[in-house]
Amino acid sequence: MIEERQLTLIMENKPGALVRVVGLFHQRGYNIESLHVEPINDFKPYKFIEDELNTKFSEGEISRLEIKTTVDDPLMRQILRQINKLIDVIAVSGNEGTYLKGVLRDENLL
Amino acid sequence: MKLAGNDILIQSLIEEGVEYIFGYPGGASLHIYDAIFNQKEMQHILVRHEQGATHAADGYARATGKPGVVMLTSGPGATNAITGIATAFMDSIPMIVISGQVQSHLIGTDAFQETDMIGVSRPIVKHSFTVDHQSNIAKIIKEAFYIATSGRQGPVVIDVPKDLTNPVDLFEYKYPSEVNIRSYNPPIEPEQSQIDRAVEAIIKSKQTVIYAGGGTISSNAAKELFELNSYINAPITNTLMGLGVYPASDKNFLGMLGMHGTYQANMAMHNADLIIAIGARFDDRITNTPEKFAPNAQIIHFDVDHSSVSKIIEADIAVFGQVKNSLQAMNAKLKSRLSEINDSRLDAWRNQIAEWKEMHGLDHDLYKNNSDDSPILPQAVVQHIYHASNGDAFVTSDVGQHQMFAAQYYHFDEPRKWINSGGLGTMGFGLPAAMGVKLAYPEEEVICITGEGSIQMCIQELSTCTQYKLPIKIFNINNLALGMVKQWQDMNYDGRHSSISYEDSLPDFTKLVESYGHVGIKITKNSQLKAGIEEAMSIKDKLVFVDIYVDPNEHVYPMLVAPDGSLKDMWLGKGEKT
Ligand SMILES: Cc1ncc(C[n+]2csc(CCOP(=O)(O)OP(=O)(O)O)c2C)c(N)n1
Ligand SMILES: [Mg+2]
Repeated sequence: MIEERQLTLIMENKPGALVRVVGLFHQRGYNIESLHVEPINDFKPYKFIEDELNTKFSEGEISRLEIKTTVDDPLMRQILRQINKLIDVIAVSGNEGTYLKGVLRDENLL
Repeated sequence: MKLAGNDILIQSLIEEGVEYIFGYPGGASLHIYDAIFNQKEMQHILVRHEQGATHAADGYARATGKPGVVMLTSGPGATNAITGIATAFMDSIPMIVISGQVQSHLIGTDAFQETDMIGVSRPIVKHSFTVDHQSNIAKIIKEAFYIATSGRQGPVVIDVPKDLTNPVDLFEYKYPSEVNIRSYNPPIEPEQSQIDRAVEAIIKSKQTVIYAGGGTISSNAAKELFELNSYINAPITNTLMGLGVYPASDKNFLGMLGMHGTYQANMAMHNADLIIAIGARFDDRITNTPEKFAPNAQIIHFDVDHSSVSKIIEADIAVFGQVKNSLQAMNAKLKSRLSEINDSRLDAWRNQIAEWKEMHGLDHDLYKNNSDDSPILPQAVVQHIYHASNGDAFVTSDVGQHQMFAAQYYHFDEPRKWINSGGLGTMGFGLPAAMGVKLAYPEEEVICITGEGSIQMCIQELSTCTQYKLPIKIFNINNLALGMVKQWQDMNYDGRHSSISYEDSLPDFTKLVESYGHVGIKITKNSQLKAGIEEAMSIKDKLVFVDIYVDPNEHVYPMLVAPDGSLKDMWLGKGEKT
């Protein structure tokens, strides 16, 4: 079913990271309806990621990215998995659930 | 220890065990080339075109399993390499591509020889880095090698602004002993629950077929695959990329599947009740129309890449992990349930497949006809090459009919011996790839099966072969045309041959190669074929180019009927359909 969907990503705040994500949509000819990205300062909600990855985030290191787009379910799943493959992406949430450490969780955690 | 940026870069490569750098110098990489000059551990191979460097590094990587390393200058040097990077990307080949860049302060000013290499290469790399400071070079190299060689492998580009390799400024250098990228964790071990389900499905299936692809080779899992099939004894087919991962001489081997796969392989896939896909990605050359693919089959899919699973064909059981580890887990489980695997469960299925093979299997004895009453068949050329090389040469190929004939008629018993551009289908790949293989294995026989169209796309590398004394054997299956395109025009455009011939303007290839110092042999008649090929194989210290004039009207069959066909819909000959 084609409808507007939101994707949320946590990624390394590095030059080039954003354009790799956006490129996946562009390559398939899908439009991004809205996009918001900013560095994260409050890490409390992401403590579960820190625990999982055995890491500590510090100021300015990671960003949160929200994308709204209009695609159908199978494509959304495929895009989600390909975003999950990008080296700078730490976690991604969408219709399928959340990918963390490359593994899919049933819930939308971000 | 304090070193300059150029030396840090080169020392890091040495630290990674690099033997060869395939490259071409220029302004932006001058400092790096000075550091190359000052060391002895690695050899730089000067190609004649950067595309050749990437394919040579790629051939080296496919044959050895180690990453190939490419060195480029900025601008045209970098863009010339794009085709080769894309080729490696499509086939998941580990490669490190280092491109010089203009000085940091000039980036974005349209400086001389400035190209946004990171931007240009973005969709065809696994990852890329821009060096931002000398003190990060070693870490970046370490991460690049790790990323290129782990998970689903692929090319990594490192763009290095010239000022960061200057020999004057010194920085502390210590090569990192460990690498940890927190956002990158490729799966290794499979989930046991999926293994259990897979084994259950195998025990119940009455029409099993194994479909193994290039991922099985990348994962070095040929042994594990063979062991797996020693327990389940099922018919097995390989993709174009997977040839050799299962011995072609084994009784269970059905040949290649897909667009030009064997009748029995495609029929087995179509009629299977269980398909075990291993390191293969259901490419459109394999599935034909996805909606019509294997209507009755349950699918078990082993892959290291989540995004490959259920992309084209929905998997019923998905096993994520390194293919090698997953197959080891499978083997352990299968062994423990051996008594439940009833070999006769597949008897009727095996008989059915044997019948298919009997009906429309490939004829592997075409080479026995050496009468001059008939033109040379390209299929027979490959059969002769197979026999003359005892079936154990490394064989690279280009793209076209000759490639498909090579895949169909040279029987590979070992992985990493068949080296071809499957995903991108890059004409020009064969010769430089053979150089990379020969450098890796100087004692082994390395053969390039090419066409007169493809060979001209990287023919300049004949000069590189002279310089580094690379005695490879090139068999040019000369049909005077872009044969594969011509075949499609014959079949789909009523034989309107649009822009596929150049008959009167081909060079005399034997004279051409002789001018580089190589040996040329021309074969125009069936009766010369066997002796000509054997003569070429007997010359050990020279590159030999055998120009073989074959029947220009030959087509590759079987061929899947498209569009809208399934795997059981095949052309079996001119005007002959299933
Ligand atoms: C770089 C590149 N350009 C175009 C093609 C499309 N193409 C596929 S096969 C082929 C013909 C190849 O001719 P040749 O090398 O003589 O092989 P043949 O099919 O005649 O055996 C062409 C043009 C390609 N695969 N690669
Ligand atoms: Mg040709």
